[in-house]
Amino acid sequence: MSGAEAGHGLDRRTLLAAGGVLAAAGATGVASARVLPAAMVPLVGPGYRPVDADERGMWQQMARVEEEIAGSNLVVQDPALAKYMQGLIAKVGGPAAKDFRIYLVRIPDFNAVMFPTGFAVIFTGLLLRMRNEAQLTGVIAHEAAHFLRKHQIRQWRDTRTKTDLFAILAMGAGVAGGAAGINTGDLTQLGQFGTILSLLRYNRVLEAEADAMGVRLLAEAGYDPRAMAETWEQLIAEEKLSAKYRRKRRRRDISLFGTHPSPESRMADLRVSAAEVTRPGVFYDARRASYLAAIEKLRPTILDDQIKLNDPGASQYIVNTLAQDGWNGLLRFHEGEIYRLRNRVGDDIRAAQGYAAAVRYADAPADAWRWHGIMLSKAGRREEARAALTRYLAMAPNAPDAAFVRQMLVS
Amino acid sequence: MKSVRGLSAALAVLMLLPGCSSVGGGGFGISNYTLIRAKETSVGNGSLRVTPPREWNRQRGQLFVDIREVEDWTQNGPLLDGISFVTGLKGGSTLVRQTRRDDRQVPKFRSNMTAPEVTAMLESLFRVRLGTVDFRTLGLAPRPFLGQPGFQFDYEHLDSDEVWRRGRAVGATVDGRLYLILIDAARAHYYDATLSDFEAITASARKVR
Repeated sequence: MSGAEAGHGLDRRTLLAAGGVLAAAGATGVASARVLPAAMVPLVGPGYRPVDADERGMWQQMARVEEEIAGSNLVVQDPALAKYMQGLIAKVGGPAAKDFRIYLVRIPDFNAVMFPTGFAVIFTGLLLRMRNEAQLTGVIAHEAAHFLRKHQIRQWRDTRTKTDLFAILAMGAGVAGGAAGINTGDLTQLGQFGTILSLLRYNRVLEAEADAMGVRLLAEAGYDPRAMAETWEQLIAEEKLSAKYRRKRRRRDISLFGTHPSPESRMADLRVSAAEVTRPGVFYDARRASYLAAIEKLRPTILDDQIKLNDPGASQYIVNTLAQDGWNGLLRFHEGEIYRLRNRVGDDIRAAQGYAAAVRYADAPADAWRWHGIMLSKAGRREEARAALTRYLAMAPNAPDAAFVRQMLVS
Repeated sequence: MKSVRGLSAALAVLMLLPGCSSVGGGGFGISNYTLIRAKETSVGNGSLRVTPPREWNRQRGQLFVDIREVEDWTQNGPLLDGISFVTGLKGGSTLVRQTRRDDRQVPKFRSNMTAPEVTAMLESLFRVRLGTVDFRTLGLAPRPFLGQPGFQFDYEHLDSDEVWRRGRAVGATVDGRLYLILIDAARAHYYDATLSDFEAITASARKVR
């Protein structure tokens, strides 16, 4: 598929690989300066509708895709959170602010994609990794820029394989129309979603444009434009740690030249662009509190979704990154969970320590008490185990495993 | 493990195209299934025998994926329903083959695992290998199995093909090895349609060595 030539949206792998605009251009001697934020003017106005036949055809297809996505049971039903994100895209959406739609889907991976008709799909794994509103808004601004710069149709018109793309799109719509997805467990290959997402890859120049414009939109909305580079930095570090755990190099798939598309260079560009649009002396509020309030209900679930994937490198990085804003019972509990699932020699002790630390916080989840009790029980500390499990049952009397825990208490 | 049903199904399709002959399948044709008669039969590595109340289809194990302690059966195809057997998994082993380099791994079984740890291991198997995005425990209760103190685990999960599935696992650790029978089927219709078979099979299970 021709899409393999480019990075797309904000998939955590492809966005890293897509960073090589300058590096690649530099290597071939082709002059290609950083895209300047100031040059990034919107190409669409409010209520934009396509005029040309090819673009209109694309919009028709995409209307079907959006219908499928909107009705998917992977979409998180949380009206308050949906409203919150809608508010964010309204802030950084430029002239199309009122035209965007956002769908949050329950997939534990870092991904966000803007569709050509102005609706975005954001994965819960992305929300998990954002430390504050500025970071999330930065990602949304990047996605909004794809729409505002008409990247989808430009990419299609630009490519030699336009007919292929239309064929693929038709196929994508067909898949979205209800054929059964085959899951391989690879979250980037998710049934319908995977097929659709793979249609939406942008080349490196377009990604660089989205970065530059995103930074500008972010700054204009009153956020610290450096938040975007910070997000990238977190991603790169997470990838590295995850790979190191499994004793391999960081993934570098989807690199066009296979030489040096370095995410670092993309990050460096973002930093320079951010500096350019930063207003000196201005205090930027990252709006962490409002972000945490918005995802409060969802956070334990999406953290759990990540930890249970048993990717300890990535999970530890995420927990530690979130803990930079302060440890709490939830994070300590999941620190224990990472060790329990990793399950190497000695990890049972580390897990037990994690749970013991977690229950010292007032906000420790009921599950922290449960696992604390189970670990104490395995260590032969029966009285303490009994106390912890009793506490668990008091906190969660209707827990689905209450029958089992009660039996543990009597035996 | 049937939970790699996607992979099995994909491979099954691939097998049909080039007309590969099957090895150890049913007869001369191309088959990933063998018929299981409604009489006592040995499953997995042979250490467990069960008696199904009607005929079932045994799925051929996938090379490089399935281990010999695990066997999968299905009635209507692996995307719709299935019963899996774990027959004496040793401590330090995993329910499926995986390489050390896989980012996301199914946790190893340990002989001293409690039921909540075994069920958490199953949950990760679904999430890691099946692309399960939502997994809910419906119940965990004591239940004897193979004459030993064991557990019954009820759960449901939403997979990335957007289908809700429901399952029940009944298991016990015997002499440090995990024995378990698991039903996993589409929550709409197929779970209910297969549960009585599962219960009969579980009740009939006996360890032979």
